[in-house]
Amino acid sequence: MSYRRSPILFVIALLVAAACTQPPPSGASSTPQATGGAASTLVWYADTSDLISLDPAVAYEFTGVLLAHNAYETLVKFEGADLSTIKPALAQSWEIKDSGSQWDLTFKLRSGAKFASGNAITADDVVYSFQRVLKLNKSPAFLFTDIAQIKDTSIKASDASTVVISLPKTASPQGFLSVLTFTIGSVVDSKDVKAKESAGDSGSGYLLDHSSGSGAFVIDHWTKNSEVQLKANPNYTGSPKPALGGVLVKHVPESTNQQFALEKGDADIARNLGSQQITALQGKPGVVTTTGNSLQLVYVGMNVTVKPLDNVNVREALRTAIDYDGIVKDLFKGGAKKVQDIVPAGLAGYNESTPFQADVNKAKALLQQAGQSAITLELLVPTGPAPGGVAWADLAAKLQSDWKNIGVTVNIKQTTQADLLGTYRAQKGQLVMILWGPDFPDPDANVGPFTDYAAKSIAFRNGWDDKTIAAKGHDAALITDSAKRAAAYKEITDYVLHNGPYVVLYQPTEPFGLRSNVKGFVWSPMDWTDFAAISK
Amino acid sequence: MRFLGFLLRRVVGIAAVMIGVSVITFAISHVIPADPVAAALGDHATDAQIAQFRAEYGLDRPLPEQYLIYATGILHGDLGKSIRTRRSVADDLADSFPATLELSFAALLISIVLGVPAGVWSAVARGRLPDYIVRVLSLAGGSLPVFWLGLIVIGLFYYQLGWFPGGGRIDTFVPPPPTRTGLYVLDSILAGDLDALRSSLVHLVLPAVTLGYFSTAVIARMTRSSMLEVLGQDYMRTALAKGLREPVIVLRHALRNALIPTVTIIGLTFGSLLSGAVLTETIFSWPGLGRYATASAVSLDFPAVLGVTLLAAIVYPLANLVVDVVYYWLDPRIQHG
Repeated sequence: MSYRRSPILFVIALLVAAACTQPPPSGASSTPQATGGAASTLVWYADTSDLISLDPAVAYEFTGVLLAHNAYETLVKFEGADLSTIKPALAQSWEIKDSGSQWDLTFKLRSGAKFASGNAITADDVVYSFQRVLKLNKSPAFLFTDIAQIKDTSIKASDASTVVISLPKTASPQGFLSVLTFTIGSVVDSKDVKAKESAGDSGSGYLLDHSSGSGAFVIDHWTKNSEVQLKANPNYTGSPKPALGGVLVKHVPESTNQQFALEKGDADIARNLGSQQITALQGKPGVVTTTGNSLQLVYVGMNVTVKPLDNVNVREALRTAIDYDGIVKDLFKGGAKKVQDIVPAGLAGYNESTPFQADVNKAKALLQQAGQSAITLELLVPTGPAPGGVAWADLAAKLQSDWKNIGVTVNIKQTTQADLLGTYRAQKGQLVMILWGPDFPDPDANVGPFTDYAAKSIAFRNGWDDKTIAAKGHDAALITDSAKRAAAYKEITDYVLHNGPYVVLYQPTEPFGLRSNVKGFVWSPMDWTDFAAISK
Repeated sequence: MRFLGFLLRRVVGIAAVMIGVSVITFAISHVIPADPVAAALGDHATDAQIAQFRAEYGLDRPLPEQYLIYATGILHGDLGKSIRTRRSVADDLADSFPATLELSFAALLISIVLGVPAGVWSAVARGRLPDYIVRVLSLAGGSLPVFWLGLIVIGLFYYQLGWFPGGGRIDTFVPPPPTRTGLYVLDSILAGDLDALRSSLVHLVLPAVTLGYFSTAVIARMTRSSMLEVLGQDYMRTALAKGLREPVIVLRHALRNALIPTVTIIGLTFGSLLSGAVLTETIFSWPGLGRYATASAVSLDFPAVLGVTLLAAIVYPLANLVVDVVYYWLDPRIQHG
């Protein structure tokens, strides 16, 4: 074996020679790209391991939803970070009519709207798209079937530019409009998708990694586990027109790597920075950091089937003892907002009241009223980092020490989230710390699960069966007048604040790192951004 | 004939290993208390959705029946459907395996190219400075955690010095070569695409060095000790007495004999490189099998975990089979033994 004469040497020489050559700066792309090259391409670094499909009827994960949102238009939308007012999108106007036995929602389509293919958008495309969601029945379909309670026959085109959707009287029309702002309400190009159908798959094989919509961008390619490239849609009829030629979403799971790439200028925006990276980026030239709101809430559920948590004063004492300001300011350092009701800031129905803050005497008095002095409980906690970047275990330790001040001993039991959910769902937890994000941007998406025992969601998991408040929640969902609806939710959230089995700890914010030449970036609490509004 | 018998025994052994591995992995993944449905559907799923999911993935059937369905599938080349990606596991593996293979080959190449000469040098210069340098570096290579090393390497060569890219397989604005083998370096050569070749080679350096450092250390130490043993043999003294020059003695006479144990180590190393790629791939955003395995394990995606395990169960013995064949060919004593 004469290794000196091996052809391996040639390969090594090649490798070394190539290694010694400096890679050209990203700006000097040697190959022309569909998007116009580096100068007009936004490079977005993120952990995209959740990506399973780009099909708007299938995607229900952060990355898939972010991309589908930019490749498709919906009938109505929320603009920027404001989720309180529904705005026109493909529908230039809409009307909610109480037809006695049902709600009829009539949408008038914007004239001149076109798909990326150049095909005109008609009411038939809307009907096809929504029926396709029902037919495929994938993860997000429950928003149509359970929340809006619509069927195939509920969606009709009354003429080429008018769509009528009927909901049963038990569904909330306001809630349905909110659902329609989500990617599940995307309108696909029915002529194009029908042509790409294979074996009755409604085109889901094609739309897995292609787009067929009318959004500001189209999907250029998706290289699995590596990147998704979007390029500007030249036929886009909405506004604003995309300032960029393209967006490249790169899968980079390591947050330190994201930080380095941002500083070096290889990334324009970094999506998954922890508090360590955000601190490291402060004052670095060419980089700015910002935050976006999220609709998640981190809370502790108190199972009222476990004594003494059945006593409302004990629950109030546990809420009263916690140092919320310490959690938000010292632990999360700006990665969280103090919110104590069950509807997050940013949604209609949010209740600004925050009556609790580490009042040891009051908490002890409440325990005394309940006839309790020494309580021992188990606190179930997930593993890993909590939203906002602090480890769940550290947050649990903070609660443990706050509760110790009032004589409540808490034993922390840490387990994987999947395992924890199993226990929680089976109503077998005592204190369970976990997060919740609404399924659609409407107060009903939180008030329902948090108050309605029969929905077998959060109220059920904590054994809290309060039929009066559940009924009020149902009624509030159906109110069409915004002011009256807000008043109804104020009453409900005030009640839950002091009577419910929840300690709402905080609402997390999302940190981002940006190159300082990136302009127009706004993060929506829907977990997406409009790439069209961004320039660099 | 003797060789064919030898080969046949090995292949039968591999098949037995595969059956064993599939039964054990399947059993372990199905008796642990965590529920893949809770992991896949999350907090919001309704009871009806959970039931539908269980039925779709056959999780509502008795365990032996689930295994039978799975095993029958494997025989037809069907590794099942991933719970996380909702795609066929075979397709997922076909996407991510070439990246890992390329990285492992590069790491192995680096370990051989650096490890063997370092071991020889260290043995020849025994007790002198070069020997100490090689031994300290080998010790470090055996004890530094890959995760830490990877971050340091990126921090220094990408972040501080800017000599190499910080991750990925190819430059952001260089289109990858058309897929033939899935190995970017090879595909670039086949396509005659010099840009892609340069970019994919440059991107290979840091992850391959990080991944290969441990095996370089192992190979260097093994080469050193077997060289020392050979250099102490009588025939070395004879060669020296014949008046042969030292480089000829060392490289032609000593190394050839000393390499036999090293070849064995190289085979074992290749298997461990494939499995050791998990952390390296995460740090360097390398879209390979290691990262696929991690993501699958975290989301309790049992079909995917099983697929990865089976693939490893094939590759590991195959690498050893190749070594055995080389060994058989290198060392006449085995043929006659």
